[in-house]
Amino acid sequence: MDISSLGGDFLGIIPLGDIVLYLTPFHLFMCVVMLLFTFLICISKTETQVEASFGKLEDTKVSVGLNEFKQRRFLSIICGIATAGAMITGDLFNFTLFMALIGIVNIGIVSAVKQTSVLNAAYQYGLIAMMCSLPLFGGAAIILASTGTLSLFELSNLATTSAMTVFGALLLLIGILGESGVAPFFATKAEMFRTPGSPFLVIIHLSSLFVVIRAIEILLIIIKVI
Amino acid sequence: MLVPEFVPGIFSSMYLPAIYAGLIVGFIGLMAIAMEKRDIHILILTDIVGLAMLIIVGAVGTDLAEALILPGLVVELAEIMAISEILISREMHKIESNKKKMPKNASIFPLPLVLDMEIMTTSSNFLALVLIGYGVFLTGFTGGAVAGGGVLLYVISRKSRGLPIFVFDGISGVSGISWCLWIIGFALFFIAPNLWLLSLTLAACGLLMKVASKLGLIGILMREEFKRE
Repeated sequence: MDISSLGGDFLGIIPLGDIVLYLTPFHLFMCVVMLLFTFLICISKTETQVEASFGKLEDTKVSVGLNEFKQRRFLSIICGIATAGAMITGDLFNFTLFMALIGIVNIGIVSAVKQTSVLNAAYQYGLIAMMCSLPLFGGAAIILASTGTLSLFELSNLATTSAMTVFGALLLLIGILGESGVAPFFATKAEMFRTPGSPFLVIIHLSSLFVVIRAIEILLIIIKVI
Repeated sequence: MLVPEFVPGIFSSMYLPAIYAGLIVGFIGLMAIAMEKRDIHILILTDIVGLAMLIIVGAVGTDLAEALILPGLVVELAEIMAISEILISREMHKIESNKKKMPKNASIFPLPLVLDMEIMTTSSNFLALVLIGYGVFLTGFTGGAVAGGGVLLYVISRKSRGLPIFVFDGISGVSGISWCLWIIGFALFFIAPNLWLLSLTLAACGLLMKVASKLGLIGILMREEFKRE
């Protein structure tokens, strides 16, 4: 499909040498929402979890120390900015790099917690993210080899899609699914949520939701069969 | 085809075999991960899948593909370091939580690291000096790696002889300043191309200090890890 039927009215391009950014209302909306959420994260404080004890009347409070809080907020802001960048970029190269950055930062947000089960989940998620960098970067490289460009603006102007490009796009999809930890790989990510520290943890979830929407748009631009 | 005419046919015919080789290596790595049970072995095997990614990207062989390789390599390194940190801190939490069950002198550093090699006590200072000197002579990325290896050897050998180690507090600051040198050199290439010699020297020296201090930093981190014990 072409760009304007996916993203609304075509607002214009920003030529920066090889990298041609293009603007549509869809991208602008997603980017602004993500930046607003990042701003909310900048000014918010962390929560304190209250766990009910079994057989007693006392509650145990699980809170986050100042050092851990600062580190987690910093990484969450980086994650928000990377997601906003992935929303607005018009280049598959930048999208791949933002995706890899989101994957690393997601590990970092939960890496400082004390619960062993959460660390275990973060470890498994990190392994999946590392393995999925093969299809992520490999898919981008195969698309580059079979079309000669990574600019989405150029890719949308191509007349046909070769079988190799479709293969690369499918590899890219697998990579994005693994790096953002959505459906078949979501089990470890759900476990990562059991740690105290909302709202910073929500960015892990929100970034993968936004990235999947953008990834579907990119795949529809690349694959011309539909 | 997209391949320009001046590329010899043998190079462009290597593309498909390289892609297949990368995919097969990745598949073998994934099968090994599925069969392996110990966490540390799984982590090491995961790196094989990352190397397969480098093969596939490297098969394309254009400048844009090289621009994909560099962040891919950095991402792999950063992720493997982050995950190994997670693994270490998880093992430490496990050890701390059931400390009563364990014997008192159990190692808190979960990985076996024995350093009783003869080279650590005989001529380590001389070797470190030779490495640093050769690294400064080389400059650039390779020189930084060699000089950093010299610093690392010095730190480890002092540690293994039980001597106190100097604390380089500002080593990350050095790393940051040399990063700035590199960026300035890089920008000068584009702004004033006639100053290419100056910018080349700036970039090479910045990179030397950057890489050397990075490897030195690993030595410092290891010292902190020992201190915790």
